[in-house]
Amino acid sequence: MTDVVMDAQTDDVVHDAKPVIVTADERIAFRGPIQRVLVSPEIGAIIGAVLVWAFFWGNGAKFGTPGTTLIMLDSAAPLGIMAVVVALLMIGGEFDLSSGMMTGATGIMVGLMVKYFHGSGSPMWVAVGAAFVLAGAIGFFNGTLVNRTGLPSFIVTLATFFVLKGVVLVIAKRLEQKVQVADVKEKSGFAGFADFFAHEFKPERFTGRDVAFVALAIGAFAFGAAGLCEQSFVRRTSKAMKSAGARLVAGAVGVVAAVIGFVMLQHTDSVGANVLWGVVAAIGVVVGIVGLATARYDGRDTPRTGASLLGDPNLRNTVAGGVLAVAVACLAPLVLDRNERRPILTWFPNWLRFAVGVIAAITGVAIALRHLWPRLRERFQWYKPIQVVAFAAIVGLLLLAGSLSFLQLTTVQALRAVVMMAMAGIGIGLLMLARGRAAKAASAAQLHIGLIAVVAVAVLAFVIRADSNASRFRSGLFTTLLLIATLLLANTVLETVLVKRREASAKADRLGRRLVMVAFLCGMAALVARVVFANVDGTAEGGSGTSIARMSIFWWLLATVIGAFVLTKTKWGNWIFAVGGNKDAARAIGVPANRVKVALFVTVSLVGCFVGVMVLTRFGSVQASQGDGLEFFYIIAAVVGGNLLTGGYGSVVGASVGALILTMSDSGIAAAGWNQDGKFAVKGVVLIVAVLVNNLVRKKAQEAR
Amino acid sequence: MASDKDVTTVNDHKLLELQDISKFFGNVTALEDITTSVEAGKVTCVLGDNGAGKSTFIKILSGVHKPSTGQYLIDGKAVEFDSPRDARDRGIATVFQDLAMAPLLSVWRNFFMGSEPKKGFGPIQWMDSEFAKTTAKAEMKKMGIDVRDIDQPVGTMSGGERQSVAIARAVYFGARVLILDEPTAALGVRQSGVVLKYIRAAAERGLGVIFITHNPSHAYPVGDRFLLLNRGKSLGDFAKSEIEITELTRLMSGGAELEALQHELSRGR
Repeated sequence: MTDVVMDAQTDDVVHDAKPVIVTADERIAFRGPIQRVLVSPEIGAIIGAVLVWAFFWGNGAKFGTPGTTLIMLDSAAPLGIMAVVVALLMIGGEFDLSSGMMTGATGIMVGLMVKYFHGSGSPMWVAVGAAFVLAGAIGFFNGTLVNRTGLPSFIVTLATFFVLKGVVLVIAKRLEQKVQVADVKEKSGFAGFADFFAHEFKPERFTGRDVAFVALAIGAFAFGAAGLCEQSFVRRTSKAMKSAGARLVAGAVGVVAAVIGFVMLQHTDSVGANVLWGVVAAIGVVVGIVGLATARYDGRDTPRTGASLLGDPNLRNTVAGGVLAVAVACLAPLVLDRNERRPILTWFPNWLRFAVGVIAAITGVAIALRHLWPRLRERFQWYKPIQVVAFAAIVGLLLLAGSLSFLQLTTVQALRAVVMMAMAGIGIGLLMLARGRAAKAASAAQLHIGLIAVVAVAVLAFVIRADSNASRFRSGLFTTLLLIATLLLANTVLETVLVKRREASAKADRLGRRLVMVAFLCGMAALVARVVFANVDGTAEGGSGTSIARMSIFWWLLATVIGAFVLTKTKWGNWIFAVGGNKDAARAIGVPANRVKVALFVTVSLVGCFVGVMVLTRFGSVQASQGDGLEFFYIIAAVVGGNLLTGGYGSVVGASVGALILTMSDSGIAAAGWNQDGKFAVKGVVLIVAVLVNNLVRKKAQEAR
Repeated sequence: MASDKDVTTVNDHKLLELQDISKFFGNVTALEDITTSVEAGKVTCVLGDNGAGKSTFIKILSGVHKPSTGQYLIDGKAVEFDSPRDARDRGIATVFQDLAMAPLLSVWRNFFMGSEPKKGFGPIQWMDSEFAKTTAKAEMKKMGIDVRDIDQPVGTMSGGERQSVAIARAVYFGARVLILDEPTAALGVRQSGVVLKYIRAAAERGLGVIFITHNPSHAYPVGDRFLLLNRGKSLGDFAKSEIEITELTRLMSGGAELEALQHELSRGR
């Protein structure tokens, strides 16, 4: 078997024959596809977005349906577009505090020009053109002033912000006698611009929607799995591959079975048939993936040396903790009543509540004292693990006591959801952690822990199905969890029987990356198909009527794609990084640093104008306070997306996702029926948690290399 | 890059020449009547203690400052630079003490910073990152360094490695004259030796090297020509055959002043 491995490597090098053969450096450990993804700046934001989405999806029936999703995306678009350019500026090492006001000022300017210019108003295109020219000039002014004076852009753009705000208020009040510019819709040329900036798309009825969704989703999973395998495992030689005919056949049969299973699942409705085809599909997926992968990649032949699951106490405890957590998540529905909307503490008599409050206060003071006083810290060393528990208990008690009642997390109903989600997440997380450790120690326990995790996910799926009465949980979440369990099973088997690749292979890595890219596009197409098209009877799920897509979402996507392309793939992007990372160095090496900064400021202002016109045409009116204060949300979105405040590091995609997280937290609170005023608190929490997580991920990822 | 082949054939040709260069900042005289030159394939060392005018000298060479008086000649022709970019376009590459690198950027992005390889059609052009990565790795290899990971941020490399990136970058981009600002100042003994090796390697590839340092024992083994600066004035411009390392050290460290100090100290005992 070893010579097969050698063959595979030499084969690879010959195919890769480039002018220079790049040999691997023995000092650096090979990073697998997952670790490589973990070093990218936007990964924290993406994980965060998924978690925030899952949280609100579980807590509000109106959150995450196609109709509400489109409305949410539409309202997120201005923030998202601005976050993209503001992130570019931040990576370039500067801020623009006038960016928020810019969106309002340009909107007002266009509105006023269309109504009052030369008495009867100018055509729309003249007004919009003038607004763009003005915005560009202001951006140029900002950039040039920052370059010439060397003042912090914070100061320069703060000045611009106040000037803009003052001028807008004065002019708007003089012309309109109020702070709103309305009745713009009838003006000449408005309709054309409204079409361009904020066209509405009513969803087409598309009978094949669900089939298309399923097909695209399967495609996404298949390509994704293939891409990850290609990046993780060692290719066999073509000779060895030919001898693996039986495995190939098994794999092909599995794939066919999976496809038949999924197709039949779409067409049957009875419980018995669903179970049958579900099992066929699941077995097909596992057999298909394992068969094809073992035919293409090299098998493991080294014996396992690590301790078994029960032999290693560390491993055993982690697994036990994971299983326990999942068990708590599964049993919570039995204890806590789903329909109980009363706060938990009302169960208890008054004196007990008082006692609980006193105990919480005493524990809190004790923790603080011990923390502040070194002598106490030495004296009560045994107290350390208890401190963690006590801290968690205090937070829990505060929650129960209703001090966070605006989130309505204190009801039994909410507690139940939180316990289930948190415990399930912690449990599966612990199991995966244990599996990773076992893999590192080359222990046979890897397989056992993997299987335990698969069972845990499957059990969770059935518990949720049995417990819940909402169809989104009964079918949606149930199917997703079972799919995850199936893929996890296939993954566990592969990790056990195949050799992991330990060195870079340019060809395989490139192919793997492309496959993952195709998978991503398939997944996006699946989502679009589900969100944009109405289903057979013409309604979108969730009962919110038909969904409406707006042009703004497209502009947001376009801004993100262009921004990401410019930043990572062009020389301008390299210059932006360079200028933000070390301006003097960049200048010395020949980067036109001043030009880059001016270009960034002008871009922010022009895009601000674009967004201003977009908002104006969307609503047909604009407030003088429009955009005032939004610049901070742009910056927050960029920071949540993993951009460094000090410049030189970051991601456009991250900023876009950051904008999505902020908007999700807003509309999620509304959908859950919680107090709207709490959304600022939530934003604050999101910001600080996101920054901490980003730092943690970045640190961990750098250690992993 | 095609040009450095021509250069190697004309070995005694003076690539860069300074004649009676002076620089005044208001009423401060930073440099006065400095004359020196560098030939292809040779290393000219500029030695001076703190405050000798080395920084001003290097800024004039690299086009950051214009000399107040005197002539700056390239290939025997007088030139005047408006910006560092001008100097770079003429083949004068400077590796500054702070290395002109963005610490959070990857090695290959730093390597091609400011001169990104392009690919594409018409107005739509993007960076050829595949080419940039392989080239950066290969060029580093030519200098004798195996970069651990071309995607790693430059900030995670050691000082010597960062020097090597800067030197390899300058060499790759067709530098004819390489100006190194104290490349060994912050390095340990072994790392300094490695950097001296790169300096020699660069000279052997046909570049003229100007090596600025305050350490005679670093300068002497690699230098062909030595310019000594003290308080903005030249103490002399010597070929290697004209001077010994002991004399170099003595002149550099203030010469007579140091002797007087030594005398004083020994008498005090």
